[in-house]
Amino acid sequence: MSEMSALSSLEKILGSKELLYTLLLLSVILPILHPLGIPVEISRRTIDVYEYIETNLRPGCRVYIEVYYEVAARGELEPNLIALTKHLFDRGCRIVYGSLSAFGVIAFSLFKSMAADVLEGKEYGRDYVYLGYIAGGEAATASLARSIKGTISVDNYGNRLEDLPLMKEVDKATDFDLVVIVSSGTDIFAYYVRQWHTPYGVPLLFACLSVIAPSIEPFVGAKQAVGMLVGQRSAAEYEVLVGRLGLGIASMDAQSTSHMLIVAFIVIGNAIYWRRRISSKRGGSR
Amino acid sequence: MISWDVLGAWLCAAMVVWIYSFAYRDNALYKLAEHMFVGTAAGYSIALALDSLNRVVVSPAVRSPGTFWTTSWHYLVPVALGILLFAKYSRKYYWLARYAVAVNIAVGSGLALRTVPIANIVRQITATILPLWGSDPVKVLNNWILVLITLGGLTYFLFTIFPRVAEGARPSPTYRVYRSLYYIGIYGMMVGFGALFANTIMTRVGFLISIYLIYIQPEAWAATVAAILAAIAIILGILRKR
Repeated sequence: MSEMSALSSLEKILGSKELLYTLLLLSVILPILHPLGIPVEISRRTIDVYEYIETNLRPGCRVYIEVYYEVAARGELEPNLIALTKHLFDRGCRIVYGSLSAFGVIAFSLFKSMAADVLEGKEYGRDYVYLGYIAGGEAATASLARSIKGTISVDNYGNRLEDLPLMKEVDKATDFDLVVIVSSGTDIFAYYVRQWHTPYGVPLLFACLSVIAPSIEPFVGAKQAVGMLVGQRSAAEYEVLVGRLGLGIASMDAQSTSHMLIVAFIVIGNAIYWRRRISSKRGGSR
Repeated sequence: MISWDVLGAWLCAAMVVWIYSFAYRDNALYKLAEHMFVGTAAGYSIALALDSLNRVVVSPAVRSPGTFWTTSWHYLVPVALGILLFAKYSRKYYWLARYAVAVNIAVGSGLALRTVPIANIVRQITATILPLWGSDPVKVLNNWILVLITLGGLTYFLFTIFPRVAEGARPSPTYRVYRSLYYIGIYGMMVGFGALFANTIMTRVGFLISIYLIYIQPEAWAATVAAILAAIAIILGILRKR
């Protein structure tokens, strides 16, 4: 009886959400204030993406990047976008950014302020262009693949696309050597697979939130995308590869400690559950 | 003199703390932050949608009407259909909105169906047709797992009636195969859901970490004051209920 009551009180203490949230907050804040320096091993998946860009993109190549995430998802996706942009600029690529989400415009302006060093020395209109928000979902995706200038006539800042040197060279899906989709939504990946990759064979590269990675993994498995960067972990690895450490790598200690805490709670929860189950079975057999 | 940027940063830190205070208990400051967020987000979306319309249609039509009417006149079709959607608010002309909805659905379905059979069915099936024998044992094991779990998942969802076994009779080979695949399907899905749950945790923790790094850490004092205010709001809420 005393064992059961002890288990009950332990369950009550550990079952309080306030305790879990407080411990989780501490497990996030403390490693940021006092970094532990847990080593980050670079996964095969991230190396594959890096090697694809190194091998297949030559100076002067054109890349389209879809910026499709809201401010809440910044922490997972912005470091990926910055690291990829740095790598692409280092390879001599020119980039056209666009957003099929209204919140992409804020995401892009925040990206510009956070990646000022990456964009330094790059001329707007010649090295990169931001098309802004393009309404229309999958229909707009299909229309952009056929003709960007036929879909919109001005960029995010009101400049006529015909007046921008980079936009004189690109107009349709096949003009791009790679399309990168940085998104917090699931549907947008399917839009690009259906409207850019399947009809025109344009290579796609995904950067997504960890939570939606299992949903879009089949596209990568079926070779409909050349690779995938998943959340903060991939961002940290890519930051190491391109040599620009940022938010991704700064988050890794906190990710490790908070995951250790959650694993500890899962183990304790299961131990209590099984102990209780075994005890009740023994009690029943008597 | 406090600049708008500093005030904005303080407000960001306070809002983040107040939104997260809901994890402990509902309170007045959480509600304030929630309503401000929803209102701002809705207003921003409307403003951006109107800006997009202005950039694509209104501005070119006013600035260079000649070019617009020769090259971009077709933009007026979706604009007209969009305006028709507002007919829903009229009892007399609500039916006009159906044309806009019908065109929207037809275009969406047409565009998707053009490539769905190849992109979402044929390519996915061919990706699971893998060699089950070879020199690399790890690859072979991976292929076996992928093929078996795919077949198991399909068995679980497609064959929903379990074959019957007569009482006292030995189960037939068909029954054994079906039962094995059925359980492989269940366990495969469990592993899949487990991975999904783990990824969900990683994303949520990632959000928390980045929000702390971007908004709270640079404005630690503002966040501390906001946290104290949230604690007071929670305590006052509890006392009022009593």
